[in-house]
Amino acid sequence: MNKCALNRDDWAAFLSGDLEEGRRRTMTEHLVKCPDCRAEADEMSRVLEKTEAVKAEIRQAVASVNWEALPAVIADRVLADAGKPEKAPRAGWFRAWAFPLRMKPVLAGLAAGLIVGAAAMYLALRTPGPRPGGDTGYYASGEFLDRAELEMARRNTLDYLEKSQYVLLDVFESAGEGGAAPTAFSSEQARDLLSKKKYLNAQLERFQMAKAKAICDQIEMLFLELSQISEELSAAELHKIRGFVEERQLLLKINLVRKELERGI
Amino acid sequence: MAEPTEIASLLERIQDGDREAFMTVIRLYQQKVFVMAYSILRNREDALDAVQETFLRLYQKAGLYKPGNSFQGWLLQMAKNISIDSYRKHQMKRREWETSKPLEEIPVAVEDRASDSAASDLRSAFERSVEKLANRQKMVFVMRHYNELQFNEISEAMRISVGTAKSLHFKAVQNLRKWLTPDLGI
Repeated sequence: MNKCALNRDDWAAFLSGDLEEGRRRTMTEHLVKCPDCRAEADEMSRVLEKTEAVKAEIRQAVASVNWEALPAVIADRVLADAGKPEKAPRAGWFRAWAFPLRMKPVLAGLAAGLIVGAAAMYLALRTPGPRPGGDTGYYASGEFLDRAELEMARRNTLDYLEKSQYVLLDVFESAGEGGAAPTAFSSEQARDLLSKKKYLNAQLERFQMAKAKAICDQIEMLFLELSQISEELSAAELHKIRGFVEERQLLLKINLVRKELERGI
Repeated sequence: MAEPTEIASLLERIQDGDREAFMTVIRLYQQKVFVMAYSILRNREDALDAVQETFLRLYQKAGLYKPGNSFQGWLLQMAKNISIDSYRKHQMKRREWETSKPLEEIPVAVEDRASDSAASDLRSAFERSVEKLANRQKMVFVMRHYNELQFNEISEAMRISVGTAKSLHFKAVQNLRKWLTPDLGI
């Protein structure tokens, strides 16, 4: 801002359109004779003119909505989401009898923790009786073990995909920096990931994670080439690898599969 | 805009699960909420999601409204916060997606409706500059010019004084002027 008689409050009020009459006259007179302030005011109004395009876009968006129908749509969804079409029923007699004071969530959590803890202690310390699995001291159902293994497979695949992404990005950066060979680090990581993939294959097949397996196989193919890369790798070879990744949109697919796995699909 | 007593009674009925009262409030404020959300999100569908989320929040928190305060300010504050949260989530997703795609595959034309015109370049320069403003300056600027709210309404929605709102607005315009002067060709 230029160093003129007009102060900051004047400019703020001028912009907000509520400069009192006397000050406004003073300001207008000043703008006539001060080219610096005039230029500043001109720049400000030109900046504000730029909001017109956005305002027009907003008006267009407003015009595209069916405002008549929207309230009913929102009300239905909200009432369904809130699960509260009518007033909530009063607490039952048992609740009133067992919890004369309203328990705060923290207290409720504490109480639940104590109950669960006590149950766990009881189970851990009670005299061991005969168990279906013999004397192993631990029993888990087959279903539980399957779930645990599936979870392990999911996590291992996620880990594999994440690390693969880093390696591919590293290669991409190398290619972007004038075709230099990928760092020894990426080649070594590619070899490491190849050995992990052998272990992963069994898990992917067992749990029929077809989509994840397809993407992991493509990565494996790429890493086989990468692991054989020597320091003398030419820029053309590097670009070929990059072309392969781009053509198959490998990074995008990795991301999509990762998201699915993260959601537990 | 509804009278404060009318709003208080509507909110009481909403707490009792009255669908009609809820629809009346939606009808009265839906456009203001939409404009607030759209100004921040700049996408019709996202803005409509934010409108729904705002009214869901209103339904859940109708009992928390303090009758002495401006209802519109309170509601727009909720809409603003929800839209900012949604904007951040979308930004994060977009960043993830963009970093995962090779540069040449990112459709740069999505935002640019008339990519080769100078006016469009200037417009996107303007929008980028608005994005660059400090949060409070940006919100005041957006509310003043896109939502066309008065400074007292802005102060209610942002829980700041009217003086602070004006001062933030002034700083925002000054910054935009500073950043855009080369583009404006002054």
